[in-house]
Amino acid sequence: MLAESSVAIVREADIVIARQKGRELAAAIGFSSTDQTLLATAISEVARNIISYAGHGEVVLSGIEEGGRRGIMVVARDQGPGIADPELAMRDGYSTGNSLGVGLPGARRLVDEFNLASALGAGTTVTLKKWLR
Amino acid sequence: MSVPILKQGDILIASIQSALSDRDLVELRDELADRVGRLRSRGVVIDVTALDVLDSFATRTIRGIAYTAKLRGADTVVVGIQPEVAFAMVQLGLSLEGIDTALDLEEGLALLHAGKAERARRK
Amino acid sequence: MVNIADQSPAQALSKEMGLTEAAVERRKRIVGLDGRDLERISSIKDLVLAHTEEYTSAFFDHLSSLEEGRVVLANRSVAERARQLKREHLVAMVQTDYGTEYVTQRLELALLYSKAGLDLRVFLAAFHRLLESVGATIMKHFEREPNAGFEAFMSLKKVAFLDIGVIADVIIFERERVIRQQQDAIRELSTPVLQIRERLLLLPIIGVIDTHRARLITESLLSAIRANRAKVVVMDITGVATIDSKVANHVIQTVTAAKLMGATVIVTGLSADVAQSLVVLGIDLAKLNTVGDLQGGLEEAEYLLGHRLGSDPSAGYGTPVTRT
Repeated sequence: MLAESSVAIVREADIVIARQKGRELAAAIGFSSTDQTLLATAISEVARNIISYAGHGEVVLSGIEEGGRRGIMVVARDQGPGIADPELAMRDGYSTGNSLGVGLPGARRLVDEFNLASALGAGTTVTLKKWLR
Repeated sequence: MSVPILKQGDILIASIQSALSDRDLVELRDELADRVGRLRSRGVVIDVTALDVLDSFATRTIRGIAYTAKLRGADTVVVGIQPEVAFAMVQLGLSLEGIDTALDLEEGLALLHAGKAERARRK
Repeated sequence: MVNIADQSPAQALSKEMGLTEAAVERRKRIVGLDGRDLERISSIKDLVLAHTEEYTSAFFDHLSSLEEGRVVLANRSVAERARQLKREHLVAMVQTDYGTEYVTQRLELALLYSKAGLDLRVFLAAFHRLLESVGATIMKHFEREPNAGFEAFMSLKKVAFLDIGVIADVIIFERERVIRQQQDAIRELSTPVLQIRERLLLLPIIGVIDTHRARLITESLLSAIRANRAKVVVMDITGVATIDSKVANHVIQTVTAAKLMGATVIVTGLSADVAQSLVVLGIDLAKLNTVGDLQGGLEEAEYLLGHRLGSDPSAGYGTPVTRT
């Protein structure tokens, strides 16, 4: 039951592919239409981050099961320059109304679990998890 | 041009049919900017009914379209944002502040026409 | 894609419960059903087939002896169907072919019990009576080799427990389905969106607003805006228990989302005191169109519909578009 698929993010057209696949997997797992949209939007943001900051990377989508509940996991990773200060990157740009600051902090609001692992010169891995209610 | 742009009087209507790539969106922005100028349009309707996701890039680009249109004397209305998409946008923290929005094409056109009539009345 | 409409209820349920080949194999592993069991069951197959009527009666006699068991027997056609299925079960039980089809067959009877509201304990008791009856005939037949008889019976019992597992799961699953439906109904009641006029919705919010409820309310409202083509929404928060900064932010989010769909939201019931304290907390209320009380809010809504927004788009101005 643990389906997994990987989408290479090489050109910006791949962002759409990643989020469509994400939506499909979410639907198969049983997520509501609204949750599918939230997930697709989150994938769009993290996939775009890959293009913007690393040039290329991959998005891995998989169904997950933990302690009786089911959900979906999205891992967006790249071997790009990395983020010097992940804490700062997660500082909410939302309150300033600047949509440029929306990316990662925004994506975090759309999912249940969020993890950002990055260091200068070591690439970036963003892990998102969303659980069925 | 992947997004069809219709002309109705002095209003341009861009109906986005399906998920657009970033490049398509930028192309749309430039195309609309060009036509608004050439055709002296007074209004632009961007119909996003078919879009299942409106992320930060799409929102930024739409803002860009509205801004450029305004510079050339046209008002912009975004129509057809679906309930789930509106919800996701708000959760994400995206704002279309300053840009008119309407439920659908019919409402959007009515809004633009009403705006014109309002301005005409004030003169 | 399989068309659900073409499947029987039992098949559809089987899918819903995830009773795949793998799942059935796992259930067989759990009861410990192996090759030797199948051999032993084969050895008593004819014996069991000869007495199915007796075993079926044992089951239903026990049901009718209990008040709670009579629910299945109340309706004649239901009772007859149940007896028929029971007979078929007994036959299938000794065929030694226990796969997805076998399990799906059990689902039909389980659904029948579930719909009739049969108590699980009563079912287990009646089923035990049936097994007693089977055991008696087996031991009688194996009078001279009691060990063999006992072993054969125990093998068959494994299959019986496989069946019980399935039936119990169905009863639980169906009960949970009812609970889920009730929860949905409660949720709908707690987020009512009323259309009080063409293009005008009223959203009275009462009680506690937590993040979960705020989301439900927003989703309901946005759906309603589309369904009713609403242009104005009066959102009354007079009845909201506590309006702190969190709740205020939920309200602002709902208003912002509605605006994206072209609807103007008028928030009523926000007293001057509460508004003041929210401002002090740093909440920007400028985004909200607030009016003191509901009456005032409705009047403001009427004004907006009648004048600024123009309730009839095809009257006058410009060329109306024909929608396809």
